[in-house]
Amino acid sequence: MQSKSVYKVPNGKLLKVFLEYNEKKNLINEINIMGDFFVYPEETIETIENKLKNTLLNRESLLEKIKSVIKENNIEFIGLNAEGLAEGIMMCVK
Amino acid sequence: MKEQWRLLKTGANTAITNMAIDRAVLVANSGGKVPPTVRFYEWAPPAISIGYFQSLEEEVDLDNCMKLGVDYIRRITGGGAVFHESELTYSIVIPESHPYIPKNIMESYGQICGAVVKGLVHLGIDSQYKPINDIITNGKKISGNAQTRKMRTVLQHGTVIMDVDVDKMFSILKVPNEKIKDKLIKDVKDRVTSIKHVLGKTIHFENVSEAMEKGFEEEFDIKLVEGVLSEEEIRLAGKFEKECFGTQEWNYKR
Repeated sequence: MQSKSVYKVPNGKLLKVFLEYNEKKNLINEINIMGDFFVYPEETIETIENKLKNTLLNRESLLEKIKSVIKENNIEFIGLNAEGLAEGIMMCVK
Repeated sequence: MKEQWRLLKTGANTAITNMAIDRAVLVANSGGKVPPTVRFYEWAPPAISIGYFQSLEEEVDLDNCMKLGVDYIRRITGGGAVFHESELTYSIVIPESHPYIPKNIMESYGQICGAVVKGLVHLGIDSQYKPINDIITNGKKISGNAQTRKMRTVLQHGTVIMDVDVDKMFSILKVPNEKIKDKLIKDVKDRVTSIKHVLGKTIHFENVSEAMEKGFEEEFDIKLVEGVLSEEEIRLAGKFEKECFGTQEWNYKR
């Protein structure tokens, strides 16, 4: 199943998520995180996308995964945050 | 004695060359080969640049770009899509460890944007930095900015809008919903301004450039000395044109 969302992060930027997921298992197959936000270092957006594969599509699992990747890779978001990203992803399945 | 930084006036170039030069200066500066550098430039032909995290096909009407002779390119910095036509573009490259630049990213946006704000004062324009990455005058955007940090080096580039054709801009930018296109155009016309609009007359690039030169000197309390790209920078720029900015792989990356 494929889905897209557009979400204005509160006090932040416009997040666009493209999601391909397994409806039966409720798992992410493929994700593209796009928008006019800032991520430092930039290339870690791909690390985030890779680590989100096979993550369960519920807010708690997503937040936990996003926060752990941010911490492990010393990632800094500007105009985006873990909660906003989780929200953008959940909007794809609502 | 004031610290001396290099000033580059590289004139008008294609989108590919412009983005390759910014990256080449970053790499040369990270290796300690060139001093902190401020660069002023223009785009010919006009171009649309998208942020590192944006999708080209999602943001840009590529057919209309072709028709209107507008270049398109992905930046190495985040942020949004920008239509570069009548503007001064600046870039600044400086080591992260330099005492004049805040370690904190948001603070450093504020400081670098402060140089643009001071430059605008010399044109008689009162403006303020508006986080995250805008400069506004009378509530309207007159400058957009984007920063990356790579190889322990800060690169920030941004626009100083000299004039803006919102209708042309919207024929190149993709709008999510055609039905609200008119409203979007009106919103942007209400939100974006230009030097020409604020002052009611056209100011030449050279005058904007002189004002910005003073702005950077004042903000950082340094002296800008005009210089040229080093041989290594020219070589690196050529390499980045071929291997990065000129490739479909890069521009269609996301």
